[in-house]
Amino acid sequence: MKGILYLGWRYLTYHWVKAVILISSITLILFLPAGLRVLVQQSRSQLTLRAQSTPLVIGAKGSPLELVLNACYFSSKVPEFIPYGHVEEVLQSGLATAIPLYVRFHAQNHPIVGTSLDYFDFRDLHIAVGRQMSRLGDCVVGAELAREQGIQPGDTIISSPENVFDLAGVYPLQMKVAGILAFSDSPDDAVIFVDIKTAWIIEGLAHGHEDLTRPAAAQRVLKQQDNVVIGNASVVEYTAITDKNINSFHFHGDPAAFNITSILAVPNDHKGKTLLIGRYKADQATRYQILEPDTVLDELLATIMTIERFVITALVTVGISTLVIAALVFMLSLRLRKREIITMTRIGGSRLAVNCILVSEIVCVLLTSIVLAAGLTFATARYAADVIRFFL
Amino acid sequence: MKVGFVRVRIVLLMLGVCCMVSCSPEQEKPRPGAKGDKTIVCTVNYPLAYFAKRIGGDLIDARFPGPIDEDPAYWQPDTAAIEQFQKADVILLNGAGYAKWMEMVSLPTSKCVNTSAAFKDHYIDLVAELTHSHGPAGKHAHGGLAFTTWLDFSLAAQQSKAIKDALVKRAPEHTADFEANYAGLEKDLMALDQEMKMVAAEIKGTPIVVSHPVYQYWTRGYGLNVQSVHWEPDEVPTETQWQEFRKMLVGHPSQCMIWEGNPAAEAVDALKAMQIESITFDPCGAAPSEKDFLDSMQKNIQELQKYIIQDSIKE
Repeated sequence: MKGILYLGWRYLTYHWVKAVILISSITLILFLPAGLRVLVQQSRSQLTLRAQSTPLVIGAKGSPLELVLNACYFSSKVPEFIPYGHVEEVLQSGLATAIPLYVRFHAQNHPIVGTSLDYFDFRDLHIAVGRQMSRLGDCVVGAELAREQGIQPGDTIISSPENVFDLAGVYPLQMKVAGILAFSDSPDDAVIFVDIKTAWIIEGLAHGHEDLTRPAAAQRVLKQQDNVVIGNASVVEYTAITDKNINSFHFHGDPAAFNITSILAVPNDHKGKTLLIGRYKADQATRYQILEPDTVLDELLATIMTIERFVITALVTVGISTLVIAALVFMLSLRLRKREIITMTRIGGSRLAVNCILVSEIVCVLLTSIVLAAGLTFATARYAADVIRFFL
Repeated sequence: MKVGFVRVRIVLLMLGVCCMVSCSPEQEKPRPGAKGDKTIVCTVNYPLAYFAKRIGGDLIDARFPGPIDEDPAYWQPDTAAIEQFQKADVILLNGAGYAKWMEMVSLPTSKCVNTSAAFKDHYIDLVAELTHSHGPAGKHAHGGLAFTTWLDFSLAAQQSKAIKDALVKRAPEHTADFEANYAGLEKDLMALDQEMKMVAAEIKGTPIVVSHPVYQYWTRGYGLNVQSVHWEPDEVPTETQWQEFRKMLVGHPSQCMIWEGNPAAEAVDALKAMQIESITFDPCGAAPSEKDFLDSMQKNIQELQKYIIQDSIKE
């Protein structure tokens, strides 16, 4: 048996060009559908993992995909705003925990995510260096962003104005980095988290300034009528929140009416989820929509899956053709080796032994191709996530 | 051959162990903020901590991280104190704009319980303070609401109910204990309420001056005739303050000044010279140095009763 395998092996190594071509073509034809399938599956899971870990998103009526992408991936256009008071309404329903999200502002093209501390518990995010944000003006930075920009606790980040030509607009806010999040392999790694109230300060709904009622501020007072003090243009609003000026910050208006972009609703149980969805679906007049992010993304991915099916069908057809051609190559090769086979018979090789040698060559080619294709598929499965993340 | 078989068995055993380790259920994570099996409750003032402790007993760890010698309403917590609040399982807020620092810090919304939410429609608006105007936002005032809600003991009972509900939600397995303890506390608070109502009935609209504007709910709850000055108990009033006080007495002839803390002897003497008795009625925002909330409130009521008796003797 050893001799048979040795002769088969020697034949292949002698005709190595032919062997390499055969092995390559069969490997590729086996790998391509399998690799593509793995790649698509991984892309799908990368996309849906985040959506699956987000039970419900509540936001203004409009594009469901935009709302989900904004709430889960902090990308896409800023959806229509909803009032913060709706968070209270969801909480008071007793059906779910409501986590506000205000994903509107940026700092150097990185999203600033205004939320509550519940978000960190919900996503199981932990502080790797420094501490959790504790006061207005504090922020915590995602691991990847901190690594890229060399951000450390104690550094400051300045919010970018929404419109550079709006000279009378809101001043950028200088935020203090309280901590850096541990790497979570998610969109949370590339954003800046602030308290929702800090996001409202960036928006200009709250501000801090010198106390105009104090004698020291007399030169900033335009006029005082009864109990109304009117400041002049020299009143400067603080652009950074410090221990000294934090008490001068105050909100204008009712926070319940302030803007947020969405609410992550984490139902207490399955019944709570069903009831909550039912409430929004039943109320046709509501200006809100409730979404299950994985359902929304499934609809998007269904299109991608259709394309995948077409590609795999084409690849399988090509694969069958390749295998037929490979069979033809082997058959033609047998004809060319007729004299060699006669010689082997004449020197005493039985018909069975000669057939075994020929079969061993074919099996060797096929096995090598299968092993290589499996190796490539495994490598794709192992590294596809990194590649996909790079492109996403 | 035998050695090979042994090797195979070792490899199989190792694979089995690996499978068992990888398939074993995830270790149960400890509840955030949990100390043993106790629910950690942080409060913004002493009365709420007292109510929580009475309801939760040894099943909870009720903490008020604020100082003893400072009014918690105007306290500024440092980062360490904020972290204590952040790590708590339940954060009890007084509501009605109490503790302005709450607006300046980051706390987990889902753990915060506004104990006065049930009567938020009955909050007392403070008289409009000085307003100011600048920039496009227009005129605005930094006024607010009266917040010493617990001095109306019926409201304190409602706040206690909110605390009981929050604890039941957090640890439903102890519902029976919480309900029983709450029943006891409610009984005590309603007894205080009855006592105070009886005292108020005896006072019958007699003008009273309070040293600090913190008695609004007490005034409304028991139908008292109260006007307020803004004096600190440990400071002797200035001449301007005395002048304003005298002006007030013209329209509000009080013979009783209620202080939130033990007043300075000089101020007491000066008031006595004006035929005005000084009574201490401690709102107990911060923890009393010796007794608990219930004792302190009973002492407050007794002080009032003493005054009524003395006053009736004088008459």
